[in-house]
Amino acid sequence: MSQPTNQPKWTALLAKHETVLLAVILVEILLFQNLGRNFLAESNVSNIFRHSVEIGLLALVMTPVILTGGIDLSLGSMMGLCAVVFGLLVKQYDVSPWLAAVAAISLGAFGGMGNAFLITRMNLPPLIVTLGTFSLFRGLAEALTKGSEAYSGFPQGFLNLGNANVLGLPAQLWVFFLVTLLVWLLVHRTVWGRSLQAIGFAPQGARYAGISVERNTGMAYILAGAIAGLAAVILVARLGEARANVGIGYELLAITAVVLGGTSIFGGSGSISGTLLGYVAIAILNNGLSRITAHQIFDQPVSSVARELSGMLTGLLLLLALAAGVLLKSLATRRARRQSLVTTTNPTPST
Amino acid sequence: MKKYSREWSVAAAFGLLMLSLLIVAPHFFQWQPLLSRVTSQMPAMVVALGVAMVIISRQIDISIGAQFSMCAVIAGLVAASGLPLGVAILAAIAAGALMGALNGLLVAYLGLPSIVVTLATMVTWQEALRLWQQGRLLNLPEGIQWFGQSQESGQAIVIGATALLLILLAWVMKNIAAGRAIYAVGSDAEAARLAGINPQRTTFGVFVSMGVLAALAAVMNLVQSPQIQPSCGDGMELKAIAAAVVGGIAIRGGRGTLWGVLPGLFLLANVNPALTHFHQPPYWEKAIQGLVIILAVVADGWNQKKQSNNG
Repeated sequence: MSQPTNQPKWTALLAKHETVLLAVILVEILLFQNLGRNFLAESNVSNIFRHSVEIGLLALVMTPVILTGGIDLSLGSMMGLCAVVFGLLVKQYDVSPWLAAVAAISLGAFGGMGNAFLITRMNLPPLIVTLGTFSLFRGLAEALTKGSEAYSGFPQGFLNLGNANVLGLPAQLWVFFLVTLLVWLLVHRTVWGRSLQAIGFAPQGARYAGISVERNTGMAYILAGAIAGLAAVILVARLGEARANVGIGYELLAITAVVLGGTSIFGGSGSISGTLLGYVAIAILNNGLSRITAHQIFDQPVSSVARELSGMLTGLLLLLALAAGVLLKSLATRRARRQSLVTTTNPTPST
Repeated sequence: MKKYSREWSVAAAFGLLMLSLLIVAPHFFQWQPLLSRVTSQMPAMVVALGVAMVIISRQIDISIGAQFSMCAVIAGLVAASGLPLGVAILAAIAAGALMGALNGLLVAYLGLPSIVVTLATMVTWQEALRLWQQGRLLNLPEGIQWFGQSQESGQAIVIGATALLLILLAWVMKNIAAGRAIYAVGSDAEAARLAGINPQRTTFGVFVSMGVLAALAAVMNLVQSPQIQPSCGDGMELKAIAAAVVGGIAIRGGRGTLWGVLPGLFLLANVNPALTHFHQPPYWEKAIQGLVIILAVVADGWNQKKQSNNG
């Protein structure tokens, strides 16, 4: 809205980014279909999403945070803390799992509020604040479980959330659809969502335009924390076990999905649809590698080192996406400058 | 001494912790175990010096733990193949410099945020190492441990080398143009550029130095045991960043002295032994570490607010 003249060009660029991502996903599918076993079998396709829906959830709520120009490194640790508190409530205090799930989500929101307070009210850099809470939340989870305890033996009705199908789709996928719709509406169809882009684009300008920068930015961190709590509950339902190391490294996967999806790491521009595509690309990569049986790397069958391999490739992918983003942007500005030069030197069209 | 009030208050807190340990658990101060504990903290000290420089230049590097592990394994493999220790050290330094240069390239010349770049390189190196070594313990040949000397002189070399690095780097940061340029770029990169400093080259240099220091730290860690674990650097980044931030290095760059890192690290490193000696469970270490980082940053924020209110 702020720059109506650039609107069509930017949407064109975004569309282009998303087409590139779609092509990447197609190449992945073709590759893994040829190299692996039963990659496109119906059971595996729902497996891909059953086993990665938590990453998708984190990526969805990481998007508004990055839109404001911030970052939240604590989401993976938040999952660990919420999972442990959830297990503790159910197993030691006999709370019903659904009530405990509400408690876990509230705890996540509360932790997010802590981040939001330090970042917006104390005016501290998000990166170091969430690096601190990254350590704090995981440390609390470890302290609560004395380093090694795990909670298991949850009622079947709750485990169904992670393992059963509803209307032919994994149960947790329906939750994911719901959250996707919610976050999409919030980011793209509310004043709050628009204000986030303004804040990320120019915080001072947003303030002068009458936007409450503190409150709107803080909301993004609170939403992120709450959904991290939800992701922890879903992960516990799938694994049937709650322990302190739940969700290690998930924040990186989420950030990768967001950046891959074309959201600028400097804030100000991005989209939920891009994030979804970025997430699908990562989920397919993780699953596809574990199905390659015929090939070897460092004398190990690929399927047995799939975790390390996909971790490494995710890191490289993030670096490539970042570098490509910067290079594309500098190309675009150069083109824009050239065009503006052309229009200023030829003020009157020849026709 | 108002200028160094932060450093002195951290040192005082450390002194207080030591004093209470002296009363509650005097056996904490037996000479040999104490010397071993100090020696085992020296690699973290060297990494923390590097990350302090990175933070002063207004960047961050969280790939240093992964760099540390990678350098340790490379040095270990070179040593295990029968080559002399000097070659192993050079190989580690080369690897560290290369990894640092990659970070520096992406941050300084492409203008990418260092937190995301080093997050990505951290995972890349970490997982590459896991893929390559499969978590195997690496046995080192004779003559590597303590540089082939007795334990006492080996410990003396490690502590001496770290002290030398601290004095040298602190002096460079205070008195040499390259060191002052790091402060200038960290305070205001644009002003530094107008003053004739090349901020990109300075930032690049800081990341390369970080890699070299991580390699040196890895070697100091390598010589302390007959085996090397591919995961030896896990969590090193948090420890080092916490030590720097607690030691008064301002997270927004441009302020702080390397000397502050020393009490900062010693205060943090003794949280765990202190917990044990006060008969508390050790699981709280990570939580306390996180809390200390947040407290240090909040204290920084308060100071800054007070200064801007006065000014």
